Amino acid sequence: MRFYEHEAKSLLAKQAIPVPQSVLVSDAQEARRAAESLGSPVVLKAQVLSGGRMKAGGVKYADTADEAEAATREIMGLEIGGLKTVAILVERRVRVAQEYYLAVTYDPVAKLPVAIFSSAGGIDIEEAAERMPEKVARGNFSSLTPFTDYVVKELIASLNVPGADLSRLTAIASRLAQLFLRYDLTLAEINPLAKLGDGSFVALDAHVDLDDEAIGRQQALLKEMGISPEGREGRPSTAFELEAAAIDRSDHRGVAGRVVEFGGSLGLIIGGGGASLTAFDAVRKYGGNPANYCEIGGNPSVGKVAALTKHILSKPGTDKIAIIMNVVNNTRVDLVARGVIKGVVEAGYDPAEKVAIFRIPGAWEEEGFRILRKYGVEYLDRTASIDQAAKRAVEKTAR
Amino acid sequence: MGSMFIELKIDIDRCRAGQPCRACIESCPVDIFVATDGLAAVVADNQDECTLCDLCLQRCPTEAVTLTKLY
Repeated sequence: MRFYEHEAKSLLAKQAIPVPQSVLVSDAQEARRAAESLGSPVVLKAQVLSGGRMKAGGVKYADTADEAEAATREIMGLEIGGLKTVAILVERRVRVAQEYYLAVTYDPVAKLPVAIFSSAGGIDIEEAAERMPEKVARGNFSSLTPFTDYVVKELIASLNVPGADLSRLTAIASRLAQLFLRYDLTLAEINPLAKLGDGSFVALDAHVDLDDEAIGRQQALLKEMGISPEGREGRPSTAFELEAAAIDRSDHRGVAGRVVEFGGSLGLIIGGGGASLTAFDAVRKYGGNPANYCEIGGNPSVGKVAALTKHILSKPGTDKIAIIMNVVNNTRVDLVARGVIKGVVEAGYDPAEKVAIFRIPGAWEEEGFRILRKYGVEYLDRTASIDQAAKRAVEKTAR
Repeated sequence: MGSMFIELKIDIDRCRAGQPCRACIESCPVDIFVATDGLAAVVADNQDECTLCDLCLQRCPTEAVTLTKLY
């Protein structure tokens, strides 16, 4: 669950990480009063749960209260990345001497939290890591043992940050790491972390994501901060996704309908969890363009798979579909095969043409493969990997 | 659309001979059978949900149920 910037900054302030003086406003008059009380110049920032705010005109600078009032009128109605601006954060503008980047998130490869520090702040960190790796340092730490400062101190020192700055940055990074652990965050990012003319540091922008699974046990925090998890899912679901979810809800048996819509030509019906991500990545690797992401599993009924297949095929631009799962034991190959073929036929297509590849080995596969053979559908057994299945699907599908 | 993969039939005379009986209706895990006029009948739209568990065949006291795979 993503926090608005002003909430993220409140959380940082709670952990004694310095943030600029600010006032949250919802209209132009309030912005004028905020600019007057904070003292100009100010910066006005759209509070919206999406990135690309600067480019979309969601951040404006004002030298006077009049300008702040006018800028608020422009920002308030803005929709950025399909999401509405809910308020405006008016901040005292500070004089920046240097910008840094600081974040704590999870490292899925090391399966540990990772602190990331860069002396090139205010930019996209992934791009920075690629273009100037010498300016980005990362270090893993344990989420099980108490956090100790040396982890981040070593990290910051590795980029040759000198004495006083090293001490101040270490304190901030340490607090950020502890905040990350204490509140079950999946991301705590300060970008940029600005060094001011007087040598002090301040978090100019912040991005905080709370682990959705931890919403239950972080109720006290959410209550204290007046945050409600409703409506924070990021991009609202599309009509296509909502209809898929309705198909999933229509029958309690198994999962068939967790769909994310994309704009490509290859419809995907893929096994949930890691296998679906593997399949999706493999399709992308071979130059394929998925029309959707979609999980199935837990032995969905034939009718549910058929309805889902029809739904996926109904999306304009979907040339073919690929059905790819890992070796299954709690989903029956034959029942999925029946559902897919039924859905394709009901949608008015020939399964041999419309199904690029069917790769689900496992329980009842002989029965499933018999069905697929009858309808001329190309299938792969367990001797072919998910990767190979994705490659074959991409080869057969119009881009 | 009717059944594409599995076809179940009930021999009405055999079914009648076995009454009173709800064996197939109660044993089927995917609700393929219903009671109609005191006899068992097949719900055409549910046939493709058949899990091939064979319970209906095993429980029917008069061997009234036949199952055919259409593939």
